[in-house]
Amino acid sequence: MVEVDVRGFSCPVPLMRTKKALEAEPEAITVLVDSGTAKANVVNLLKDSSYDVAIEETAEGWTIIGKKSS
Amino acid sequence: MSGRRMVGPSAWVFGAAGAFIGVVAAWLVSQGNPGNMGLCIACFLRDTVGFFGGTKANMGAVAYIRPEIVGLMLGAMAASLATKEFRPRGGSSTPLRFVLGFIFMTSALIFLGCTVRAWLRLAGGDLNAVYGILGIIVGVTVGALFLKSGYNLGRSVKLPAPVGWLGPVLAIVLLALALASSSGSAPMGFTVTKAKAFATGTTPPAVFLKGPDGKPATILKPEGATLAEDGSVVGADGAVVASAEAVAKAKPQPGGKRAPLYIALVAGLVLGVVAQRSRFCSIGGIRDVVLVRRFDLLFGVIGLLVGAFVANLVLGQFNLGFENQPIAHTDALGNFAAMTVAGLAAVMLGGCPFRQVIMSGEGDADAFAAVLGMMGGALFAHWYGIASSPKGLSQYGWPALAVMAVVLVAIALIKRERTA
Repeated sequence: MVEVDVRGFSCPVPLMRTKKALEAEPEAITVLVDSGTAKANVVNLLKDSSYDVAIEETAEGWTIIGKKSS
Repeated sequence: MSGRRMVGPSAWVFGAAGAFIGVVAAWLVSQGNPGNMGLCIACFLRDTVGFFGGTKANMGAVAYIRPEIVGLMLGAMAASLATKEFRPRGGSSTPLRFVLGFIFMTSALIFLGCTVRAWLRLAGGDLNAVYGILGIIVGVTVGALFLKSGYNLGRSVKLPAPVGWLGPVLAIVLLALALASSSGSAPMGFTVTKAKAFATGTTPPAVFLKGPDGKPATILKPEGATLAEDGSVVGADGAVVASAEAVAKAKPQPGGKRAPLYIALVAGLVLGVVAQRSRFCSIGGIRDVVLVRRFDLLFGVIGLLVGAFVANLVLGQFNLGFENQPIAHTDALGNFAAMTVAGLAAVMLGGCPFRQVIMSGEGDADAFAAVLGMMGGALFAHWYGIASSPKGLSQYGWPALAVMAVVLVAIALIKRERTA
């Protein structure tokens, strides 16, 4: 499980760091975000990279969990 | 790498949002906004500053609180509250964001338009905008190199709720002042450019309203002046303020060209909701292509261009060429360089000025600092005569661009994180 914490960063850092983490093609990835824009961008990137996405709301934002779709 | 889409279904959302924004912007011109300026964040923030800076900062012709700005912020606030995305946050190099906003605005006023208006100008047939857009692409590419080498402004943190409300509170104060001045009174001596006012280019200018016959009717400035029989404006002391020729050649003041207040306000609110939900960004589209090879956001600016272009054709507002374009000059190199600096400043901020206004409505105090920086930049650019005029760049245009480019590179080097 790869974890990426991009809370507090403005565009495009969340997207850049998530994309970098995806280069290793992990089976599962967790991304912590705290802005709606970062959430939407990361979710789109994961979906377009063939991951199934689940989103959990936390006190500080959202936890995005991506699992490689079979 | 297995099956990564560079264009996902979200491209449709961005494209539709961009097209909608473009159509509304072109329509606002038909409702009275200045040419190719249905929506311009730089111009509208500048006009709003003119209301406060007034004639002291050479902003008499552009002194008008643009209700679109108020609407954008409040629309974004409502949308973010409804979707639980309103989060008071800040602290990510806040003072530097003020500086970046300041630089963005100053360079945008040398081009005469922000990164949104650049596309709207092209959609109206203004070919000078092509040089501006090329500049944006170069500026964004340089910014992408900085980002790749580890530039970022650091993390923001959750802040106490009142800090997040600064943007919406400013919007409400502006709305109150706009409503007060639209009732005919200029509260506490603020400068208000009258709707449909004309001004001569002579100094001091004669400002007047035209009657139904197209001839000057009400003289607003200077005090006590009258219209002589030969068509000239004569001051209270009997001296000619403006010749008949100057009066005949008088042009509408930019701040006097406006859609009705409620139309502009409602349009702003709707665009604020659309922009908050879609996350449309006039800079992000190009940035994401250069930096992460994602094309979704690019459909936003393509949509903006196509939407405004079609609406301009339908409304009879399309006028192809370089010369005589509304609120534009023909200095190709100046347009290119100004938007290179503006594009770079916007990438370093993390989004275009439109986004900064929207995020201010979402409780982002850093974006609000950028908006304040833009307002400060507008005041400075007009006060010192750095802003361009339709005649071209001012004598301070090039030196200002050079200084700003150096400051941007310095900020990029200082805020470099080596671990990235």
